[in-house]
Amino acid sequence: MATVPSVQEVSLRPPPAGIGATLAWGVFFLVLIWSWQGADMRPFDLLKDSDNMRVFAREFFPPDFHEWRIYLEEMVVTVHIAIWGTVLAIVCAIPCGLMSAENLAPVWVYQPMRRLMDACRAINEMVFAMLFIVAVGLGPFAGVLALWVHTTGVLAKLFAEAVEAIDPRPVEGVRATGANALEEILYGVIPQVLPLWISYSLYRFESNVRSASVLGIVGAGGIGVVLHEVIRGFEYAQTAAVLIIIIVSVTLIDLVSARIRQWAI
Amino acid sequence: MMNSQPTPPAIEIRRLGKTFPSCKALDDVNLTVATGEMVALIGASGSGKSTLLRHIAGFVAADAGEIAVLDRVVQQDGSIAPDIRALRAQIGFVFQQFNLVNRLPVVTNVLVGLLYRVPVWRSLLMRFTVSERQRALEALAAVGIEKFAWQRAATLSGGQQQRAALARCLVQEAKVILADEPIASLDPESARNVMELLAQMNRERGCTVVVSLHQVEFAIKYCRRTVALHRGRVVYDGPSAALTPQLLGELYGADAEELFGMMLDSPALKIPADKGMAPLLAA
Repeated sequence: MATVPSVQEVSLRPPPAGIGATLAWGVFFLVLIWSWQGADMRPFDLLKDSDNMRVFAREFFPPDFHEWRIYLEEMVVTVHIAIWGTVLAIVCAIPCGLMSAENLAPVWVYQPMRRLMDACRAINEMVFAMLFIVAVGLGPFAGVLALWVHTTGVLAKLFAEAVEAIDPRPVEGVRATGANALEEILYGVIPQVLPLWISYSLYRFESNVRSASVLGIVGAGGIGVVLHEVIRGFEYAQTAAVLIIIIVSVTLIDLVSARIRQWAI
Repeated sequence: MMNSQPTPPAIEIRRLGKTFPSCKALDDVNLTVATGEMVALIGASGSGKSTLLRHIAGFVAADAGEIAVLDRVVQQDGSIAPDIRALRAQIGFVFQQFNLVNRLPVVTNVLVGLLYRVPVWRSLLMRFTVSERQRALEALAAVGIEKFAWQRAATLSGGQQQRAALARCLVQEAKVILADEPIASLDPESARNVMELLAQMNRERGCTVVVSLHQVEFAIKYCRRTVALHRGRVVYDGPSAALTPQLLGELYGADAEELFGMMLDSPALKIPADKGMAPLLAA
C-alpha cells in the first residue's frame, strides 16, 4: 500500500495566486481610477443626450453620393500616396533594418541606427505631414514624405527582428565558401527573412492606406481633404458617403493584400 | 613519395589551445595532414572535433597556437588572417546539418561555391553565366541529384541535401575538405553514400579530407589514418587499422561503450563494400 504512489499526496487545487498577482490587479484598478478624471469620463452624458445623438445620427442617412466621382478620385489619390510612401519606406528599411540587427551589425552601428528608427517611429504620420507641408507645400507629396519617414521606422524595426530570428547555420554555410559579408546577407540571410518581410510590408501598406485617408485633414492630400471639408460644413449625408467609400476601399485592399501574402509566402 | 619532394602539408596545426567558459575545448593540439590524405577525426561528443574543424576554417579564433592550410596562415596566436576569405574559397566545409539555404534552389546553393571567384557586382545581382550554371549542374550530376537542381533545397531529403553540399565543394574546386559529422544526421544508406563520395573526391580529385565521425567503423572503412580526440587532446594518431576495441577502450575509458557499441557487435572490417556506388564521380 505504501509503495504505490498516490495522487492523494498532490493537492487537487491549484496553488493559491501569489501576492504579486493581487498587487498587480490592485495597481491596475488604481490606474483606471486615476485616469478617470484626466480622460473626462462622462458616461451618463451619453444617456442624457441620447435624443441629440439620435437626431445627429439621423442626419447621416441617406448617404449623399452625388459627388461620388470626386470621392472616388480622391480615394485613388489616397491609395497612390500609400503606395509611394510604403515603397520608399521598404527601400530605406532594408539597409536600416539590416543595420539595426544585433547579429549582423556591430554595436556602434546598430545602437545609433535603432535610436534613429525609434525617432522616426515615435512621431506620428500626422505630425510629419504638418512639418512636410511647410517644406514642400500642401498636397499629396507631403503625405508621401510623412508616410515614408514613419513607415521606415516601423519596418526597419520589424525587418531587424526577423533578421535576428534567422537560423545562423546557412549563413555559416555561405561564409565557408569565402563569400564576403554582403554575399552572406544576400544568399544566407535575405532568403530566410523574405516571407516575413513581404508580410510586414503588405501589412504596413494596408495601415498606410488607413493613415493616408486622414492625412488630408492637415492638408496632405487625398480623401482626407474631402472628409475634412464635409465635416466642417456639417454635410453629414456627404460625410456618410465618404466614410462608406473609405470603408469599402480599405476592406478591398485588406482582402487583396491578404491574398498576395498567401501567394507570396 | 614521402622523401622525393618536400611538398608542404595540407594542414598544419601547432600548439592550438582554446578554452570556453565552461571547459577546455582544445588543449595543445598538434596535427599535420599531408596533401591527399583522408583522415578520420573521432571522439566522444564534446571531445573537440567540431571545435577543431571550425578553427581550421577560421570560423573561430583560438586562444593560442597556429594553423596553416595549404601553406598559408589561417590564424596565429588568436587572430584570424585578414585574407581568410581567399583561403576559405579553397576549403570545402561540410556540416552535420548541411547548412543549405532552404528557400533557394539547389543549383543556387551549389553556385554559392563560386561566390569568391565571381565578380562582386555580378554576385550581388545574383547573376551567373551559362558556363557557371553548367558547372553547377555537372557537380550536381556528379553526386547524382541533378534532376532536383531547380527545387528548393528544403524539399530534398537529408542525404540529398548533404550531397548538394558536396556538389558545392566540387564547384569550389576545394583542395581541402573539412567535414564535420557529415553523416551523423543521415540514415545508414545515405551515410555510406556520402562517405563513398568523400572517398572518391579524395581519390580522384586529390582532395585532402578531414572528416569527423561518431562511429569508428566508418573511420576504419574509409580512412587509413585516424586521429582520436579526448577532452580536447589528441590521444591517438595513427593507422585506423591499428584501432582495436581494446585500444579504444583504453583511450576512452567509460565513454567507450557509447562510441564503439556498434563495432563491438559487428567488426567494422566485415561490413561489405558497396556495390554500384563507385562510378558516380567518375562520369
